[in-house]
Amino acid sequence: MLTIIKERLLQLVIVLFFLSLFTFTLMKLAPGDPVFSILRADEVAATTADEEALRKELGLDQPIYIQYTKWMYSIMQFDFGSSLINGKPVWKDILERLPATLELAAGSLIVLLVISIPLGLLAAKYEGKWIDHISSILALLGASIPAFWLGLMLIYGFSYRLGWLPTMGMGSAAHLVLPSITLGFGLAAIYARMLRAGLLEVLVQDYIRAARARGVGEWRIMYKHALRAALIPVMTVFGTSAGSILAGSVIIETLFSWPGLGDMAIEAIFKRDYPVIQAYVMISGSMIVMVNLLIDLSYTWIDPRVRYVKERIT
Amino acid sequence: MNSSKHKAKILLFLGLILLITGCSTGGSDDSTIKNLKKLTMMYHLSVNTLDPHNSWAPLRAGAVETLVKLDNEMKPSPWLAKEWKLKDPQTWVFVLRDNVTFHDGLKMDAAAVKASLERSLKANHSLSRGLKIASMEAKGQELTIVTSEPNPALPSELINPYTSIISTAAEAKVGTLSFNDMPIGTGPFQIASFAPNREAKLVRYEGYWDTPAMFDEVSFQFNEDANVRMMALQSNEADIAYQLPAESIAALEHDDNLSVKSVTGLRVHYLIYNAKRPHMQDIRVRKALDLLVDRKTVVEGIMFGHAQPANGPFPKTLPFGNDGEVTAFNSAKALELLHEAGYQPNVEGKLEKNGVPMSIQLITYKTRPELTLIAQLFQSEAAKIGIQVEIKIVENVDAHLQENDQWDIATYSSLSAPRGDGGYFLNAAYQQGGALNPGNIEVNKLMPFLNQLNATEDPNTRMKLSKEAVSLIQKEVPHSYVIYPNILVGVNKRVHNWAPGAEEYYIITNKMDVK
Repeated sequence: MLTIIKERLLQLVIVLFFLSLFTFTLMKLAPGDPVFSILRADEVAATTADEEALRKELGLDQPIYIQYTKWMYSIMQFDFGSSLINGKPVWKDILERLPATLELAAGSLIVLLVISIPLGLLAAKYEGKWIDHISSILALLGASIPAFWLGLMLIYGFSYRLGWLPTMGMGSAAHLVLPSITLGFGLAAIYARMLRAGLLEVLVQDYIRAARARGVGEWRIMYKHALRAALIPVMTVFGTSAGSILAGSVIIETLFSWPGLGDMAIEAIFKRDYPVIQAYVMISGSMIVMVNLLIDLSYTWIDPRVRYVKERIT
Repeated sequence: MNSSKHKAKILLFLGLILLITGCSTGGSDDSTIKNLKKLTMMYHLSVNTLDPHNSWAPLRAGAVETLVKLDNEMKPSPWLAKEWKLKDPQTWVFVLRDNVTFHDGLKMDAAAVKASLERSLKANHSLSRGLKIASMEAKGQELTIVTSEPNPALPSELINPYTSIISTAAEAKVGTLSFNDMPIGTGPFQIASFAPNREAKLVRYEGYWDTPAMFDEVSFQFNEDANVRMMALQSNEADIAYQLPAESIAALEHDDNLSVKSVTGLRVHYLIYNAKRPHMQDIRVRKALDLLVDRKTVVEGIMFGHAQPANGPFPKTLPFGNDGEVTAFNSAKALELLHEAGYQPNVEGKLEKNGVPMSIQLITYKTRPELTLIAQLFQSEAAKIGIQVEIKIVENVDAHLQENDQWDIATYSSLSAPRGDGGYFLNAAYQQGGALNPGNIEVNKLMPFLNQLNATEDPNTRMKLSKEAVSLIQKEVPHSYVIYPNILVGVNKRVHNWAPGAEEYYIITNKMDVK
């Protein structure tokens, strides 16, 4: 297992290097630069002479490879630099927003688990029955309803009509409910269907028939024997969804005034705030790689056969 | 078995926590417990810093103030400075109020103001060209400012929120980073906490130099989604919600607890013609295109009546606003002008000149959704007389217009008189290399007017010169001014003595109250 962890950490460094190189080049090739945003704050614009002078001052007139090398040199010393727009150290901005992102990720994960596991189990147990059809309809809705519309409908129902939950903001657990449902629902419905498909495949396996022959109860078979095996493909796909959950959804953050990393990144992209964009890419890239590593390690817990194979390889 | 049960219990427990805590009232609210008077304001822009020299939010929230302010008639009037005079063409003397203290209790004197202005010049790159400050001298409550060249517009430039007066001594104590989250100013409210892009909480400053604020707390919240702002207002979570969607106003008007304030702001939506393109250099073509702008439909159909048709860069509410006729939509006359300019219909009914069809690239952007709709309306009217208009939506309009030459027209929106003075827009939009002149517009005979305006201190003469400059500009049609959009604000009727100002600077004031 240690070898796997070491390999993945080495991969992380390589992934981050290429990721940073790719984003840096792409951002520089895109039209516009931060000078427009710095000088044109709140409507009052600057002259072209002012823009040229500031571009020189910030070193944005230098060739891309020099700018990249300088940035990389700072990163090697764990210095993410400061925002070109507000002068704030980038690490401070990220540390301020990371808890909000993690809180929203945790909330949506709970929604995902609370909806998808029971719904997947029930849909598999009662294949072709009404609960299965409901699960299908929910999956279809989850995949097709845009997050902003769902968020607005939830605000309309639970905040405006019923007055149970706040429309937006952050602070209490009540504030977390609507954004978590908005982010988690779409994924939950899809995962419920994936889990159902996995369970149906596992339920016809010999060891399940053997368990039934031994008189083990149907629910116990589902939960104890089938669920674990059916979770492996679900977990694999979850690794790909981790990015959207961890990096936050900009629409959800805008809708609910949730000050997470996604909101920060979009603002930085619009204003071409290069140090913030680069730091965001590095942080979210690292988080996604780490989540996938954890998922790989979790296979050994979910299915002991995986552990056996890994140990034999090592 | 036991382990599985344990896991299931953990999952169930987590779900229950979310449900139970989620459906609670959202935590205790101190203001309810102490029965404090509180106002919740919902603003449409997100704010990630409260540095008064890089954000207008502290001024809007009533935390900081400037030396000069715009009065209701959009004229510069005393605020922290009680009077000022021009000693010689480059020397201004400002006399400051004697009874003003910062939120940390320190007295606001000329030395503190000098330090604050020096900080603003250092912190904000865009300020120096407007202020043109060469040196400052502080003596008691008297601040002498020497400018690098005659700057008659200095008092109006000091209306700029980026010149807000803050305590640099307080900044030195806590450090710039902390200070930018909780700046110390002189306003009726002081900042208690700040969560970037979410909320600034303010409490009444008891030592305020003017009449103290009428209520205890302000929650200044930021949300960029207009529908959410509206629902927050309807559910009584917000007392004031800025920039509501025009199409939703009818719903608010039926609510007995709410009212809608629709006021003409200082903004103008317009079309910029690219003077670098040969066909746009023909005044007959520009006049024809101007006649294809259906301002009436824009006002009624796109803005739902919450706008005024425009006939110049400055709205009539300004003392130097143009009171002439608005150009009426007239496609027949437009076609006539284009025929005069040599454009004739080809076999397909498209206009062409020397065998080249008339094709126009129109640049627009999504930040202001109505601009895209204006572009589509223009495209549709132009198509009816045989002009092909290709609409291109860009992300960063300023960058696109500067870095490309192939565009013909661009939709644009500007605060044309951000400090109640026409000088800024006239210089920026009509001078070569000006900040708002990506089309390289040059209007004949305008420069002598601008030079005279830039050297004139007397406000009445400045207004007269601004008006004359505008009528000269209108003859050349370098722009087509479309509308002056209204500022739409939803207000709970428990808010008293308050109306949104056209300038959008002074939102939270010491005069407003909540019942």
